[in-house]
Amino acid sequence: MMSADQPVICARDTQDHVWRLQCNEHTKKCLYAPNEELDAEGKRSSKSLEQARDCVTDQPFDSKKLEAAGYQMIQARADAPYGWTRDERGRVFQTNFDLKRRVYFGAAYSPLKVLEDPLESKRTSIDFGLLVLDIYHPGAEATRHRIRLFEGGVHMQPFSSEIVVAHYDVSHHFLDPLLRISTFIGEPARHDLHLNLGLWSEVGGLELHKTSMGNSQLWRHGTAEITFDLWQSAKLDSYARLRTGLGLEGQNDDVNGYRSAVTGASAFELDMVLDESGFNNLRFEVSHEIPRYFTTVDGGSHWSQRLKADLQLESIILAINDQPVSLKLAVGGEKRDDLPGVPDQWAFVVDAGLRFSLWAPPRPR
Amino acid sequence: MTPAFARDGEAQQRPLPRVADEHPTKPAHARRRVSATPRVIFGLALIGVALGAHVARADSCTGISSEGGRFAACFDPGNRLTLSVGTLGYGGGVSLRHTIDFEDEPDLVWKMDHAIVQFQHGLVDGEVDGLLYRGRFLRHSRDGHIVLPIGANLRKVFLPFDIGALVEVGRLHLVRDERSELSVVETALLVDLARTRDFRTRVALGPVASWDVAFDHAAKVVVADQRVAPFSALLVELHLEDRGGLTLLDVRGVAGTAWHTDGGWVPRVRAEAMLERVVFAVNDRPVALYGSALYDSDSGEAVAGIGLRAVLVEHHDPRVSLHPPVVASRVPAGAARD
Repeated sequence: MMSADQPVICARDTQDHVWRLQCNEHTKKCLYAPNEELDAEGKRSSKSLEQARDCVTDQPFDSKKLEAAGYQMIQARADAPYGWTRDERGRVFQTNFDLKRRVYFGAAYSPLKVLEDPLESKRTSIDFGLLVLDIYHPGAEATRHRIRLFEGGVHMQPFSSEIVVAHYDVSHHFLDPLLRISTFIGEPARHDLHLNLGLWSEVGGLELHKTSMGNSQLWRHGTAEITFDLWQSAKLDSYARLRTGLGLEGQNDDVNGYRSAVTGASAFELDMVLDESGFNNLRFEVSHEIPRYFTTVDGGSHWSQRLKADLQLESIILAINDQPVSLKLAVGGEKRDDLPGVPDQWAFVVDAGLRFSLWAPPRPR
Repeated sequence: MTPAFARDGEAQQRPLPRVADEHPTKPAHARRRVSATPRVIFGLALIGVALGAHVARADSCTGISSEGGRFAACFDPGNRLTLSVGTLGYGGGVSLRHTIDFEDEPDLVWKMDHAIVQFQHGLVDGEVDGLLYRGRFLRHSRDGHIVLPIGANLRKVFLPFDIGALVEVGRLHLVRDERSELSVVETALLVDLARTRDFRTRVALGPVASWDVAFDHAAKVVVADQRVAPFSALLVELHLEDRGGLTLLDVRGVAGTAWHTDGGWVPRVRAEAMLERVVFAVNDRPVALYGSALYDSDSGEAVAGIGLRAVLVEHHDPRVSLHPPVVASRVPAGAARD
């Protein structure tokens, strides 16, 4: 396939057909491809190539002269922009997807449930994200802003749902170390401690549960946390980090009524794009929350705790009109003592589902 | 087989479809050179004729009264702030629509359609219907296709439709002192069979996922039921609009099953239709007569009504020319200094 970075020239053959050509003086090879899409029979159609660069025409092209100079003429596919390719007929399609810039929604099912009776599924869930937007500023001191709007999911039987209206976090790569520790025992030496600090915040979270003891609503009014990136990829799209901070919440259930709390929250997060084309994305998160209620019920404790762990792999399996459809595999566990009717022990769930994403342009180079 | 190319110099005698770009890293549209030949002059003449034809078409959107006054005869129903009054009550809302075009992908356009803060309040029964946001994003491309990662190479299979999505957030139906129903979120994968570049025609269908919460207002407001449809319903949409934006028809139906926290899986059908026709305009702001109908199997309600919809603020239709073109008159030399 022709390179998207090298110049392309156009020349007309004796049958009046226009060809795209790309010659390399080092390898002594000239790649050539039709300047139009081909039909099913391999003949030139009247459709020009989509997303093809304009080709240079003010340079002379003499194939006999080039062949005499030792150049080899090789039929190839025409050039396509970064993140795109062409099939054998010259038709262009996207092959690189940024799932950190998209609108998505999907459905997931527990394998156990599907085996039992897919039409009477009990462990079905849907998830959605109205806007997933990463804004990346490259450079020596790179920054990545992450914005999520109206993202969440709904599980059925037992019913639960979780929504966050707005999420914002930022990662920054600091060139200068936060601390320089100089040691003077033996040869003087300098030890840099890089600490890539960031910010994590959410506003308008809502969690709903229905248990044997009624309905429960948890309103997460706002949470602000500091992040420590333990590891960052070059483009900051993959990272491992710790975060900790405080939130303000209100919980209402049919047993305890409404209670407000200040919540201490900490988490470890791992988010990785596993391949350059963005086809495989891994996410792991362990979180711990300790709400401290302003009031108690029947002389009970002011404190509760919630532990949660999630591992999710999302892989693109096909694209419709360059909009990816991905397979999501997830394993999760939760242990909490703030919900009446839910035992204070670990509960696990395995999900497999499909997600449809809109937009998902090629990843930044 | 290697093509037999013309010799040096011969290739440049006939124009090629794409023109030189000495800097391949620049976008394709960066530079274009055109030589002034009789063919180009003929092309310019054709463009002139085409422009004339365009003006003539624009004129059909501009009415001229017997006194010579100009008025708008075409409207943009996709970009407006409306207020409506009818047998079902009064209401209003904001509609916006626009396209996202790409200079390096002229065959691709995203059609974005937004409804923001729509509401209706029943004057007799006091019922309130509201919608916080509905977005419809359709990706129109010259070729629809599906990419399958089969074997070592990606394969491309062509499809005869555009795709997109519907996202609806915060739709409320409130019956005062009785109950309310909040559709927290509804999303659908849309397949648009109409495949048009403009907004005037849409024949779309696709699976729907939704989450609704029903509240009981009898003693105090409590959650009565949660309903989840995990893509277990099908949405069908039809939108037709005439060229002048005077008449529009919207039909929308959702049928399928949804899971209830109380009651398990229950089939549901919801259908609505709206026909609107602009009948007159005040200061070039259209006032339309509309009729609407709605059926919902959950509540067992079927309601219909008619009313008038006035456009308070509207995007000016670019085809309308309310000011006659200014003809430059010859001014005697030196007159301007006086």
